[in-house]
Amino acid sequence: MSAYIASLVSVVGINMILALSLNIITGFCGQVSLGHAAFYGIGAYAAAYLAKLGVGLPLTLLAGAVMAGAIGLVVGLTSLRVRHDFLAVTTMGIGFVFLGFVRKQKWLGGELGISGIPGPGLDPVTYALLIAAFAVAVIAFSLWVKQSWMGFTFDAVADDEEAARTVGVNVSIYKLTAFGIGTALAGLAGGLYVYFARIILPDTFDFVQSIAILTMVVIGGTGSVWGVAAATIGLTLLPELSRAAADYRLLIFGAMLMLVMRFSPAGLAGMIRRRSPA
Amino acid sequence: MLVVELAAKGLVYGCMYAMMAVGLTLVYGLLRILHIAHAGVFALGAYMTVTVANATGHLALGFAAATVVSALAGIAIYRLAYQPILQHSAFVPMVVSIGLFIVMQEGFRMIFGAYGIAFDTNPWYVANIGVAGINLTYVELAMVVVSVVLLVGFGLFAGLTRAGIGWRATVTDPQMATSFGVDPVRVRYVNFLFGSALAGIAGGLVGLLNNYVEPTMGAAVSYKALAIIVLGGLGSVRGTLIASLVLGVVESFGAIYLADIFDRDAIGFLFLIVVLMVRPQGLLGRG
Amino acid sequence: MSALARIDDLHISFGGVAAADGVNFAVERGEFLALIGPNGAGKTTALRLVAGLLRPDRGRVFLEDRDVTGLPAHARVRLGLGFTHQIVRPFYGFTTIENVMLAAGHHQTENPWRAITGRSRTAARDKAHAILQRIGLAAQAAQSPRALPLGQRKRLEVARAIALDPKLLLLDEPLAGLSSAEAAAMADLIRGLPGQGITVVLVEHNLGEVLRVADRLIVLDAGKVLAEGAPDDVMARRDVRQAYTGVV
Repeated sequence: MSAYIASLVSVVGINMILALSLNIITGFCGQVSLGHAAFYGIGAYAAAYLAKLGVGLPLTLLAGAVMAGAIGLVVGLTSLRVRHDFLAVTTMGIGFVFLGFVRKQKWLGGELGISGIPGPGLDPVTYALLIAAFAVAVIAFSLWVKQSWMGFTFDAVADDEEAARTVGVNVSIYKLTAFGIGTALAGLAGGLYVYFARIILPDTFDFVQSIAILTMVVIGGTGSVWGVAAATIGLTLLPELSRAAADYRLLIFGAMLMLVMRFSPAGLAGMIRRRSPA
Repeated sequence: MLVVELAAKGLVYGCMYAMMAVGLTLVYGLLRILHIAHAGVFALGAYMTVTVANATGHLALGFAAATVVSALAGIAIYRLAYQPILQHSAFVPMVVSIGLFIVMQEGFRMIFGAYGIAFDTNPWYVANIGVAGINLTYVELAMVVVSVVLLVGFGLFAGLTRAGIGWRATVTDPQMATSFGVDPVRVRYVNFLFGSALAGIAGGLVGLLNNYVEPTMGAAVSYKALAIIVLGGLGSVRGTLIASLVLGVVESFGAIYLADIFDRDAIGFLFLIVVLMVRPQGLLGRG
Repeated sequence: MSALARIDDLHISFGGVAAADGVNFAVERGEFLALIGPNGAGKTTALRLVAGLLRPDRGRVFLEDRDVTGLPAHARVRLGLGFTHQIVRPFYGFTTIENVMLAAGHHQTENPWRAITGRSRTAARDKAHAILQRIGLAAQAAQSPRALPLGQRKRLEVARAIALDPKLLLLDEPLAGLSSAEAAAMADLIRGLPGQGITVVLVEHNLGEVLRVADRLIVLDAGKVLAEGAPDDVMARRDVRQAYTGVV
């Protein structure tokens, strides 16, 4: 595997984890989140900070995931209090608050971010395989959740919360669970990104990034694990395969969001389901 | 007197936010859609103002163009983007709106260039006037005056004219309004027309304020406008106006006193989150 | 043997109007109790207070001597309470049998850990199928609730509640909107429940069917209990007939 392929695999793997993690929150449990990049960022900053202090790889990744998950639970608690309509704006707000905070903190590097992060201690190809292994694990985990009673319960919560309560579902705990798991996984992706990029800038974790992640989920088919995985691979590789696509990346994302939601709101997965009866 | 100065600047920004937020809350009240593409209309207004003003040498023509083009753009957005998908859950139109905004922003970048355009002649940019001991530039003053005039005008329209009352009825109870002969589609057109025109004018004014129009200028204002309509209680025009002014002032003070901790754009959202924790229905929403 | 459930002095107001103004009654194990009364008497409010969908301003609710006033609805379900809505709320994204399966598998959904570690839906599916057969919806198992007429959706609502293995089932106007044949069939269906170990409390307007199937009536008027007792005794009372003004 050449270094170029290794970096492609790494980027696809990280995006895969990000998209699937948002899919658990939005696709499985029906909770809108327009600030997911903030948790990607929390994981990245936590891991980068500790890495520069000399903490070793597995611990930094764990710290990133735990930190992101913990703050994710707090955000999840806000989701319990506010109306559904408000959740979109509130989660967007979380994203801006995170960014606004991190840009001003000198000890986190301010506008310049954190640079000079040590390597993972693995050569690029092996590291790429490590990322790929994590991505595969997240796919497997997503499928497991979907097929378990947790997936069944998430579907109910997403469908009708009050009805779910009358069949004994503790809706709040399930929403918190979705947020906690989804944000922790995003934090994991952040940690993995840190060793890949060796430098992190605040702008990497802005609203545009949150929308990019949402795009992968929406186009794949919110809730569908394979759909989201396929869309992630496609959307990540597209700018690599076509120079034009790279220059117009945002325009293409925007156009695809519009067209897909207009003509097939259930995304790719919806289009395929329609082809095959049953 | 720093406090008064900060409060005054805050109110100026509040007026600008109000012009944006009213359009958003009108759309939400009627269709339950978060019209994020509204930011694109704002930027469109700014570009219309600057290009027409620079081409003709008349600022007034620039604003006229902004008003007309923005209003039409708003209606086009409703017809093409939202109307076909109203039957889905609110998530779908919101995502379409996000996509549309990104497309518009990129469109501006491709057509007008990434680096922004300035006004050739902008006498109002520097000239200022002392009002009650505070220094406001002409633009800042214009912002307050224009927003007050337009919003009061709309209030009169809604309260006193037949069309306005029909509009209010539709927002409160669409079925009842239809049975009284009010055409819901026409009401929606009025909504988008007025809200978008306001946004376009606001865009022109902000362009004048900064003497600079660039593709991403709609973003920050739009996000804050979203925070404002939530704060004000989604769908309530009065709540939105109050929340706009409150946010402008809070941001003004917050940007100074919290400068070491958060940057300016985060202040508004921080305020929103804190308020929602204490009052989940917003400042003025009903529980 | 103490009562299965007890309501003590419940008060709740909406916008200044007292929907429950000191409601007291008990529910005996194994009985079929009907809450009746004119429009606006507070019947549905009382039921929703027992179910935990509303919190009282004052007063307490007991389930098997346990004070559940502070418990949310889902916790009361775990203690043996079932509820059906006046305007039915099936999961429209699920099939008919899936609706019942989720309730049938209530042990699996108790907490996230149980949920994530449980994969098999066979037991729940079998149990759901058996219930659908008893209810007469077996043929509709694979259909979406959207495809079902109101009568069948109401049956689905009851089936789903039964699948929770409740001790006490609260039914909010299960006969509303049904034709007389459908209403009679539904009333017969519900009448069989106490025989299966499920105590029934129902709120209903359809007096004809209620008088036919209920063991005991409680009449509510303006948020207070006006009368209670055997159906014939209660309906013979003048104040009860007056409260209804014109209805037999």
